[in-house]
Formats: sequence, structure tokens, C-alpha cells
Amino acid sequence: MELRRYIVRRMIQVIIIFFLILTVLFLLFRLAPGDPVSMMVDPDMTQEDAEILIVQLGLDQPIGVQYLIYLKNFFTGHFGFSFHYGEPVVDIIWNRLPNTILLFTTSIILSALVGVFLGKIASWHKGKKTDSLMTIGALVTHTLFLPWLALILIWIFAYKFGWFPINGMISEEVWLDPEAGFIAKALDVMYHMVLPLFTLFLIHFGAYLLIMRSSMLETLKEDYILTARAKGLTEKVIRDHHAAPNAALPVVTSVGLSLAFSINGGALTETVFTWPGIGRELVSSVSQNDYPLALACFLMIAGVVLVSNLVVDVLYAYLDPRIRY
Amino acid sequence: MTESDSSNRMTAKEKYPWITSFLEGWSIFRQNLLGKIGLVLLIIFALMAICSYIPPWISPMYNPMTGVDPEITSCTPPSLRHWLGTDFMGRDILSQLLAGARIAFMVGISAAVMSIVLGVSIGMTAGYMGKFVDTLLMRLADMIMVMPTLLVVLLLSAVFGQLNIWTIVLIIALFRWPGVSRIIRGQTLSLKQRPFIEAAKVAGASHFRIIFMHIMPNVLPLAFLFMTFRVTSAIITEAALAFLGFGDPGTVSWGMMLQWVWKTGHMFQAPYWLLPPGICISLITLSFYMLGRAMDEVLDPRLRKEDQTD
Repeated sequence: MELRRYIVRRMIQVIIIFFLILTVLFLLFRLAPGDPVSMMVDPDMTQEDAEILIVQLGLDQPIGVQYLIYLKNFFTGHFGFSFHYGEPVVDIIWNRLPNTILLFTTSIILSALVGVFLGKIASWHKGKKTDSLMTIGALVTHTLFLPWLALILIWIFAYKFGWFPINGMISEEVWLDPEAGFIAKALDVMYHMVLPLFTLFLIHFGAYLLIMRSSMLETLKEDYILTARAKGLTEKVIRDHHAAPNAALPVVTSVGLSLAFSINGGALTETVFTWPGIGRELVSSVSQNDYPLALACFLMIAGVVLVSNLVVDVLYAYLDPRIRY
Repeated sequence: MTESDSSNRMTAKEKYPWITSFLEGWSIFRQNLLGKIGLVLLIIFALMAICSYIPPWISPMYNPMTGVDPEITSCTPPSLRHWLGTDFMGRDILSQLLAGARIAFMVGISAAVMSIVLGVSIGMTAGYMGKFVDTLLMRLADMIMVMPTLLVVLLLSAVFGQLNIWTIVLIIALFRWPGVSRIIRGQTLSLKQRPFIEAAKVAGASHFRIIFMHIMPNVLPLAFLFMTFRVTSAIITEAALAFLGFGDPGTVSWGMMLQWVWKTGHMFQAPYWLLPPGICISLITLSFYMLGRAMDEVLDPRLRKEDQTD
């Protein structure tokens, strides 16, 4: 019951924050140098089409009315037309969003699981060779410059050895083949996902490893660990069943706090591997001055970050009852 | 002679208590291997930044941005004339690398100082004033904290066009204070309860004076620790931005060098061009990170004890 109240409160906060971001972006785009018409209406459009769009976006109205129209358009899903693709922005977003979510969630879950597992082992071997190797390894991989790492991985595994595709998400011959079933297509996507996933994994698991290690060391000093030892439980049981679940809590928090960092990394990875996701779309729309698409991509990413933050917080509240005051 | 010498030193230490605490901290820091490695690496990078003035002074063809070797017009492997080879226009890679070190320090340190100043002031104000001000500032911090800085700068460069290096630094600083301010706010909340703040209040000190004269000296060491982490995040953000092609076209940063390799399609042909800038960005990040962790140990006695027992 209390958990439900907590979730509702956090959801209201998320909605308010999103609303504020929406407003700030509106002001930013309206107060920017240059007139809003040139920013929201494709310069290649015919006169009549442009006028219809201007009326639809309310660009001929005073700024207060414009804001209301902007909100209405947002909630009814009218983001305008992309200059570059000439298609409704909404269609592009819905097309790219699943790809981003697939890569993003898989990478976060994978690196958190491996990080927690290795951090547990490192803390258990504290001060020994295993521990120092893992700690230094985690520090080094975590601080690698992501796009560079991606280029190096492409160079080694895709160019030199030819094990994986250099870029993209699907191979045309598989997807155009009418014989190919769902499994063949899924395998094809997974095959393309290996390198981008590995890049994100290498960058992220180290942070989780270090947090899990220090949290484990703190937990091992608690009284209930002493009790468990006094009861004569084996070290393995103490480590895996008594210490680790409690020590993993700070990792959940850090997943939430590092989401913004992960999203940046996701956009870079998508761009280098030409993975058709929202992050890459934002980067290319900015370089093509495709304002409606850039605005929508950014809003979508902000939405993804806020929602994932909410999920992490709720997960944390579920795991640690102390948080639900 | 020796007696008066030591008594002199005593008074100096009594006069400036921070000297003793600094020396104590230094002796703890010296026992930390990773911290020492980080410091040595940073000194090397600083030397690189200083040396960046030498090549253009030897010959204008070594100018990182505009210098072109008259005999070379394409990407060439390392030679005696160009120790790390040349890029696609025949510019010297080594002098670009040295200039990149200068930009990295400039961007990292100035963005970090700005965001720390902002974070500390906002954190102290929120913690000290409490109530409405606290809620307002902390909600603002929450909102900014979830924003991916790189993508924010990208969007701003879409709206305002090409950004120059100082604008980029400023934006990074404006979006990177919330983490610091949260920690400082926590510290301030506990300091506020201490008797010396009460005493200052009774003596009639203004809020401004209490915050900046009495609370600030106590939170500064922690702020300094956070600065090392802010430096790394600023360097990475600028490098990533330059890599994507939205950096300041008038500066040669390591991210910019990587962008040139990538965009001109030399990444499979010219490892002597692809490797150095990436290694430099990764190493400078790593060394600030290691330095930060070592300082964490100096400032947090709990971590220290843990490493000295068992």
C-alpha cells in the first residue's frame, strides 16, 4: 500500500519535470536567433504546404497561444515533418525507439549483472591478486573513451578478423528473403548487436564492479554477518545469501544516477555503429539542421531517462523497505 | 640554530593549520600506488601541454591547425620529420597531440572550477536556508541531474549554431553542478547544527557571512575531491562533442583529431593516427579518476582504516 503511494508520488514528480522540460524547450526554440518559421517549417516545402503547417503549428499566433498549441500538438502526437526525411516526425521516432531500448536495456542489465558478480568476487579476495587485477581492470575499462573504443573494436573484430559486421543493425539479404522466419531475423539482429553491446558493456561494468566491491566490504562489517559466522554457516552461504543481496542495493541507485551518462554513451555507440536508434537520429538531425526531428528526439530521450529513473527508484523502494517513508 | 629553526617551523604550523593537514594528507596519499601513478601521468600530460608551444616555434609547418608540410599532402606514417606521421592534409600529428593536451586541461579545469563554484554555493545555500529555498534548488538539481549533458549541448548547438570552446565549457559547467551541490548540502545540514554556527549567529553575523566564512572552509576539501571527477567528465564531454563534429572548429582537441580520422575514413589504414588521441583521452581520464580515488581515501578516514586493517 505504502509502495503504491510512493510510486504515485514519484510519477507526479516525473510528470512535472517532463512538463518543465517541454516548456524550456519551447522557449529555447522560440527565443533562439532566427525566426521560428524557418526552424519548424521545411524550407523546401511548397508555399501552400508551408502555410498549412504554419497554421497547424500556430506560428502566426501570439506566443501564449503558440505555447498552448505546442502542448496540444505534443499530446496529440503532432511533431511536424522532418526536413530531411520529409516524413512525419512521429513515424520516425516510433520506428527508432525500439532499437534504442533494445540496445540500451540489454547493455545496462548485462553490465550490472556481470559487475555485481565480479564485484562480489573481488571483495571476497580483498587485497589479493584477483582483487587488484579486477579493480585496475575496472578502472581502466571504465575510463576508456567510448567512441574510440568502438572504433578499435570495429577495427579488430570486424575489419581484421571479419567476425562481425562493421555497422548497421540488419543485413538486407536476410530481411528481404521471404523464406527467412522470425528466428533467422532475430539472430541477424543479435549478430549485429554483439559489437555495440560489447562496447557499452566494457565501459559500464567497471563502475558497477567498483560500487559492488566497496558496498560488499561495508556490508561484511555488519553485525548480522558476524551472527551468520557464529552460527557456523559456510563462507559461500554468507557471501551469496547474507551479504550480496544487501550489498547490491547501492548498485541499483548507481544505475539510476548513471542513466544520463549511459544515454550519452548510447548515442555515441549508435552513431559509430550506425545503429538506427534515437541517439543517432538526434546527432544526424542536429548536423542537418532538422529542427523538428531534433526537438522530438531530445524529448523522447528525456522521457526515456525519466521513466527509467522512475523504474529504478521503484525497484529500489521495493527492494529496500526503509526508503518508503 | 636547529632549535630556533624548529621553533620557527612550529609557529608557522600553528599560524597556518592547513599546512599540517596538507602534510598529513600528503603522507597518506603517498602510500596510495594508484594515486601516485595518476599524479605522475598528470605531470606528463602537463609537460605535454607546455611543450605544445615548441613545434610551431621550430617551424610554421608544425602548427597544429594551419601548418602543412609543403612536401606532403596526404596521410603519411611516422618519419624523422614527423614522429607520429601526418594527417590527411599533411599536418603534423605529434604537434596536434601536444596542442590537444593544452585544450584538455583548459576545458577540464575551467569547467570543473565553474561547476564546483556553482555546486558549492547552491549546495550551501540550500542546506543553510532550508524550507522553500532548499526544496526549490534541490528539485532544480534533480531536473538537471537527469539531463544527458552531451545531448543537451548537441541540442543547444542545433538552436544556436556552432558553439565556441568557451560556450561549450560554460554549458558543461551549468549542467554539471547538481551532484556536487547535493553532497555539499548534506554536509551543510550537519554543520548547521554545530555550536560554532550558533555562536556566529548570536554574534550577529549575516547569513552571507555564515555561509561563506564559517561553512565554506569546512566543505571545501570535499568540493576539491569532486573537482577531479568533474574534470574528467568535462574532458570526455568536450571530446565526444568534437568527435561527433560539433566542437569548436578553431581548436585542435583530441576529440577533433579522432573525428578527422573517422570522417576521412582513415581508421583502418592509419593506426598511428587513430591510436594516440584515443589513448591520451582515456589515460587523462584514468589519471584524474585515480587521483580522485586516492584523495577520497585521504579525506575519508573510514576508507583509510579499512585498507590498513586486515
